[in-house]
Amino acid sequence: MRVVIAEDTVLLREGLAGLLQDAGHEVVGRAGDAESLLALVGEHSPDLAVVDVRMPPDYDDEGTRAAAEIRSSHPETAVLVLSQHIETRHIVELVSAGGGFGYLLKDRVLDVDDFLDAARRVADGGSALDPQVVATLIGAPRPVAALDELSPREREVLSLMAEGRTNAGIAKRLWLTERTVETHVRTILMKLGLPATSDDHRRVLAVLTYLRAIKG
Amino acid sequence: MSRPPRWIACALAAVTAATAVAGIVVSVVAASRGADGDVPPPAFAAFFVAALVPTAVGLFVALRRPGNRIAWILLVGPLSVIVVMTANEVAALALHHRPHSNLGAWAALVANQWPVLFLWPLALAFVFPDGRLPSPRWRPAAAIATAASAGIVTLLFLAPKLDGPYGKVPSPLPFDFPESVLLPLFWTCWAGLLASLFLGAMAMRARYRAGDAQQRRQVLWLAYGALLVPLWLGGGSLVALLGVSTDPIDGIGLVIFQAWPGVAVAIAVTRHGLYAIDRLFNRTLVYAALTALLAATYAVVALLVGLVVGGSAWSASLATLAAALAFRPLRDRVQNAVDRRFARARFEAVRLLRDFLDEVREGRAEPEDVGAAVALALDDRTAELFFRLPETAGYADRNGHVLDDLPDDGRRRSVIGRELGVLLHSPSVAPDLLRGVLDAAAVPVELARLRVELRLQLAEVESSRARIAQAGYAERRRIERDLHDGAQQRLVTLGIVLRRLQRSLPREAQLLNPALDAAVDEVAGAIADLRTIAAGVRPPRLDEGLAAALADLARGSAVPVDVAATADRAPPEVEAAAYFVACEALTNAVKHGSPTRVAVQTERENGVLRLLVIDDGVGGAHATSGTGLPGMADRVAAHGGTLAIDSPPGAGTRIAVELPCAS
Repeated sequence: MRVVIAEDTVLLREGLAGLLQDAGHEVVGRAGDAESLLALVGEHSPDLAVVDVRMPPDYDDEGTRAAAEIRSSHPETAVLVLSQHIETRHIVELVSAGGGFGYLLKDRVLDVDDFLDAARRVADGGSALDPQVVATLIGAPRPVAALDELSPREREVLSLMAEGRTNAGIAKRLWLTERTVETHVRTILMKLGLPATSDDHRRVLAVLTYLRAIKG
Repeated sequence: MSRPPRWIACALAAVTAATAVAGIVVSVVAASRGADGDVPPPAFAAFFVAALVPTAVGLFVALRRPGNRIAWILLVGPLSVIVVMTANEVAALALHHRPHSNLGAWAALVANQWPVLFLWPLALAFVFPDGRLPSPRWRPAAAIATAASAGIVTLLFLAPKLDGPYGKVPSPLPFDFPESVLLPLFWTCWAGLLASLFLGAMAMRARYRAGDAQQRRQVLWLAYGALLVPLWLGGGSLVALLGVSTDPIDGIGLVIFQAWPGVAVAIAVTRHGLYAIDRLFNRTLVYAALTALLAATYAVVALLVGLVVGGSAWSASLATLAAALAFRPLRDRVQNAVDRRFARARFEAVRLLRDFLDEVREGRAEPEDVGAAVALALDDRTAELFFRLPETAGYADRNGHVLDDLPDDGRRRSVIGRELGVLLHSPSVAPDLLRGVLDAAAVPVELARLRVELRLQLAEVESSRARIAQAGYAERRRIERDLHDGAQQRLVTLGIVLRRLQRSLPREAQLLNPALDAAVDEVAGAIADLRTIAAGVRPPRLDEGLAAALADLARGSAVPVDVAATADRAPPEVEAAAYFVACEALTNAVKHGSPTRVAVQTERENGVLRLLVIDDGVGGAHATSGTGLPGMADRVAAHGGTLAIDSPPGAGTRIAVELPCAS
């Protein structure tokens, strides 16, 4: 797949590019700030943009804002946002807007296979949310009666769902059979009052829409 | 203008007094020999005494201000009048004795100059109080007055027959002008003189209308007199035309007429600050009265003791002691009495400020209100008081607003004490009143100045503490950014390099894999550590708001924490302050209180961010013990907020913080 990387630290940018190239992907553009990122995306229409949150000039949330811009004006380009720390600004909105978006802490890159897997999944229109981000969202300060009804196992499953994993992936991670996972998912969606569908991405969407609703 | 020496003033006054005494003596002698003229001796004596009043005032002013023209008018005018009147008596006596006495003729010649009675008051009307005409437009009027006066005096000298006490007397001078020439000229000049008196009254009126309040008060009494003269002369002439004798009225009128200008000038000088010599007058009066009273005390005590004990040594010592003891209370009373009589305005004003100081002492007034008290005492609504700030050489008003320069709007500036403050006031405030008020205001002004200065310094300390707190916050933010974007970024890069190295190892070097995995784990651990450290310096989630940051805080806590935080945003440094206070409160609660639950609440209301941390632990926390709570209180105070701790033993702890939000 064809990738554009936006990262202001040159060494890190080259490292990421190397990782992706090692895995057989083509890095078609490298940007150091949000403005040139948008130009490169417009120019190359890549499958995926890997974007750092803090970039020049203000080192604030330029990356997430550029991500939102890309998602709305270039829907064919998926975005994987990398951050040094957990931040939920814009994230819920970006995830809820549909697939093709991921958000990971930068150190997840060190689990190379997981990282490449997430990149692949996002580029294919799926989602990838960092477990810590999911934990932050689910552990939202407001007590939610519906979430309290979930068993610990169901919460684990919900977290993995929210990260964007498939039933098979969840089964592998939790040492369960796929059928058991499917049962858990149905129970969760029922307890949360959401209709069950077979579509992985819509499940995540549903979960995050719900989370957004409880965040107010 | 050259200043005539003072001795001339003394000499003139002495001559005037001597002539008056001589005149009275001659008048009494003449009366005893049946040679009474038109005026009986008591009326004459009254007239002389009345004429001595302006002489005394003139002498007083001339001694203090030798260049003052008014003083010389007051010295020369009455002298001329007294000489003329004395000459009248001499003529009466001499001609009674010998109808053709040469002395009598000469005296009659001088006595014939009766219009001098009007000349000096006329001069005064034109040039009082500054010795100049009210304006150049008055020059023609002054010229008419001068010409008429000179004409009348000259014509009276030229008259071949003089009006003596017992009928016409031939002039001793060898002139022989026909009356048909002299009389029309005389009446013309007389009309001119009457017109001049009227013009003089107008000049006084003009001066009164052009003056400010103080100047008006100074010319008021003389102006009354000036207006009365034409009325009196005109009325007298009318009555005379009707054929009624005006002598008694004329006599009383003359006495008043001669005394009035002196009294009017004396009032202006002593009570309305004319020539700024009222203070001297005041002191002279106090000194004289005090001396008299002490001498009387001494004399009475000495006499009484002498009568009872008989020893002169005893009586002298006791009388001295009594006089010494009486000095202080007598001095104050005499001063008060003199002030009350001769410096009424100042007396009232100073008393008003003393009352104000009493109110300050009793806590019923703020010292800062001294400006209003001074304005009231001076009866000057434009008066405004500013306190001097020695540190910056600037000024502050009663509310502590600092001015580098005082407004320059035509008001006069007067310094209070030794640069304690400055009073801006109307230029028409009497100098003596001002001096008294400023002296009396020095103590409250000093008090108020110190308080204003203290308030300003406190405000400066508070704002500098807030600036330091703000700088500290900015520094934390910078460090947090540096950790995330510097060190952490490099570690991630290092990890990636290691992973790429690992993945590019040839099959035979695969045994390095575990070591490389361990290395990457170390790197990941270091990144996690850095993230924790950075969050301790400043949680990045504060960017998303206090509620988000507190939620993270609660999630990381060992004790269940219920967060109910407002979604309203406050300025970043205020949110950070609230966050760190909540952190410390939570840490303290867990460390010392062993709570089962902690509640953290925030709300924003009326420009205040309120934070409440409540636990159900053992309580008994003290604001001053340990390092946690005082540190928290300092942090809150640096942002201008308040911290209240309620921690009864065994009943948990409740920490309430209020932080003002600038926006």
